[in-house]
Amino acid sequence: MRWTWVTTYGSTYLDALGWTLLAALLASAGSMFWGCVLFLIRLMGGRAAALGVGGYVQVFRNTPVLLPIYVIYFGFPLVGLPWPALACGALALVLQNGAYVSEILRGSFRAIDRVQFDAAKSVGLSPWQTFRKITLPQVLVHSIPSLGNQVVALIKDTSLLSAIAVTELTMQAKLLTERTGAAYEAFMVVAALYLVLVFATEALFRTAHRAVRWR
Amino acid sequence: MRRLVCRFLAAAAIPVLLLAAATAGAEDKSRLDTVLERGKLIVVTGSAAPPFAFTDDKGELVGFDIDIVRLLATALFKDPTKVEFVVVTAEGRWPAIESGRGDMGVGGTTVYPDRALRVAFTRPFVDSGQSILVTKKSGIKSIAELNQEKWTVANLVNPQMADRAKRYFPKTKVLTFDTPSAQFLAVKSGRAQALQIDTPTAEYFAAQNKNEFVVLPTLLGASQNNAIFLKPGDFKWWLWLDTAVAELRTGSWYPQYTEVYNKWFGKNPPPQKFYLPQR
Amino acid sequence: MTQGGLDIPTLVILLKGAGVSLGLACAAIACATVLAVLLTALAFSRLLPVRLFYRLYIYVIRGTPLLVLAMLIFYALPAFDLRTGPYLAAVVVLAIYVAALFAEVFRGGVLAIPRPQWESAKSLGLPPGAMLRKVIGPLVLRYTLPSYVNVCVMAVKATSVLSIISVWELTLASREIIERTLAVFTILGTAGAFYFVMCLGIDRAGRRLEQRLALRGFGGEHA
Repeated sequence: MRWTWVTTYGSTYLDALGWTLLAALLASAGSMFWGCVLFLIRLMGGRAAALGVGGYVQVFRNTPVLLPIYVIYFGFPLVGLPWPALACGALALVLQNGAYVSEILRGSFRAIDRVQFDAAKSVGLSPWQTFRKITLPQVLVHSIPSLGNQVVALIKDTSLLSAIAVTELTMQAKLLTERTGAAYEAFMVVAALYLVLVFATEALFRTAHRAVRWR
Repeated sequence: MRRLVCRFLAAAAIPVLLLAAATAGAEDKSRLDTVLERGKLIVVTGSAAPPFAFTDDKGELVGFDIDIVRLLATALFKDPTKVEFVVVTAEGRWPAIESGRGDMGVGGTTVYPDRALRVAFTRPFVDSGQSILVTKKSGIKSIAELNQEKWTVANLVNPQMADRAKRYFPKTKVLTFDTPSAQFLAVKSGRAQALQIDTPTAEYFAAQNKNEFVVLPTLLGASQNNAIFLKPGDFKWWLWLDTAVAELRTGSWYPQYTEVYNKWFGKNPPPQKFYLPQR
Repeated sequence: MTQGGLDIPTLVILLKGAGVSLGLACAAIACATVLAVLLTALAFSRLLPVRLFYRLYIYVIRGTPLLVLAMLIFYALPAFDLRTGPYLAAVVVLAIYVAALFAEVFRGGVLAIPRPQWESAKSLGLPPGAMLRKVIGPLVLRYTLPSYVNVCVMAVKATSVLSIISVWELTLASREIIERTLAVFTILGTAGAFYFVMCLGIDRAGRRLEQRLALRGFGGEHA
């Protein structure tokens, strides 16, 4: 392992790291939002909507995320929407991970004791108030660890965006391997960077969970 | 429980050590001898670079380079089917050869001096060059016209393309893909208006749909050489391959070479020797 | 622009690809299960360095994207490439990756065994091998079956990532076809349907297996 590698190519890696972070952030924010939407639809939308969301979740749980990435990236221009690669990739990741997020929220919801809802009704809270004061906080707090796992999975999934020409970390490693032949160094550095990102994210969510639990 | 694990690990270690010891000495033999013993040639190739190496409608690997390899197999084993192809992407070519996974590699690989630092090339077996394919819709007629911010060009992963893009059309946006057919898909689907690739490949893509695509007449740089690449340091293997290519292009196997060349390029190859009349 | 359709030859190619994906996943799952049992044993070792090694393995394999892991092993570790074809290397990569997931599942299963069970198993005086096979094994199986099946589904989905390093399976087959015909939605949709059927099939099979095991009363009272 030639350590001068890191100094020579450090700046190219930083560039690529920026793209990875951007993709991960966009995809995370989007997935949280879309997951909440799906969860709410399932909760409040009646039987047909719940079935629809259930079907959606099943589809995305049983197909690899690379397929939506290719479909959106290569297919959108054909129907007149030539979005940039990052947008296409982020959209695919959001569609996929939104399904997982909604399942996480659903699981947390089911973990809330039914007794609380009866108590809320007997006290006279409206459905909206029940949701805001009882359901939502508990669902969110309970979900934080699993959501953290989901964000970590997203960070790793951004590596797939290298297949659609986004110049993030994995693509950068490929380019450097081509240019210099030092495959070992190129990919070791990238692996190390991902591990750092994962560690930081896990630490972040652990602190968040602890902070929120003691409120 | 622990004792089970320890015993298992100890048992597993012995065959691993034996294997390591056995293969450690294997490097002293020439690849040529290994290939002859094995009875089969293992060739690293791309699968998305027409007409050099690509998959046809039935999913079979075909192409000019593929047929040249089969000629080599015929020379080695009297049987063109004694070849196993290992398909890789553009950046996977070099590690596959350097690690010994393949005996040699083909697939529209152009010879560059900096590449020659890491792999050995035989003499070239076909001419190439780098061209730009554009969509007719874009109306780009020359490289100067390509050099605008509103256009996007699809490149391959290799650094030479990136350097040429920076030199000849720095203002154009660049997308990087790992196979030529991915580049072509990008152009077909409207993500890019141009792609940079070997001239024969560009002409092949353009021929698929003459109404939509055209190859710009100027070459980027000069005429280039495509050759077989192999792991450096093995003189015996390189010598045989180079001799075989020499015979294909200028010697006793020129008729077979002409047949393959006609099949894929629709015309005769360059003459065997400039001082002999073309027959 | 050709909008090639879904004709029989194309369908056959996709089916072959699906078969390859399934085959890769099965081979990887088999190897990974064995490897994971070993790893779980390491996780409960009395020696701290061994336990640390386990934690390191899990952290590294689960923290690195599968694609990067695969490229590292395919491109940078020559030891694997002595005459091994891409499929063997692919199975090795997948097995290493999936084994980490299995190991955590098994470890959770072992930790879930209540104290009383351990005590009574030890008091029976069985040798460690028999204890493993007759007591711990079935209990862990019962507790971890749903998660195990989940990981199997993940393994099938993970095979599509290998397409990026040119391992020919369903995703690469689809990509090759759409690069020729531009029928992006039809081909990728069909490929998606194949993955869906395979994954859902594994899921359902797992559920039925669960029900069959529960009927036999394998520690069902602890469920």
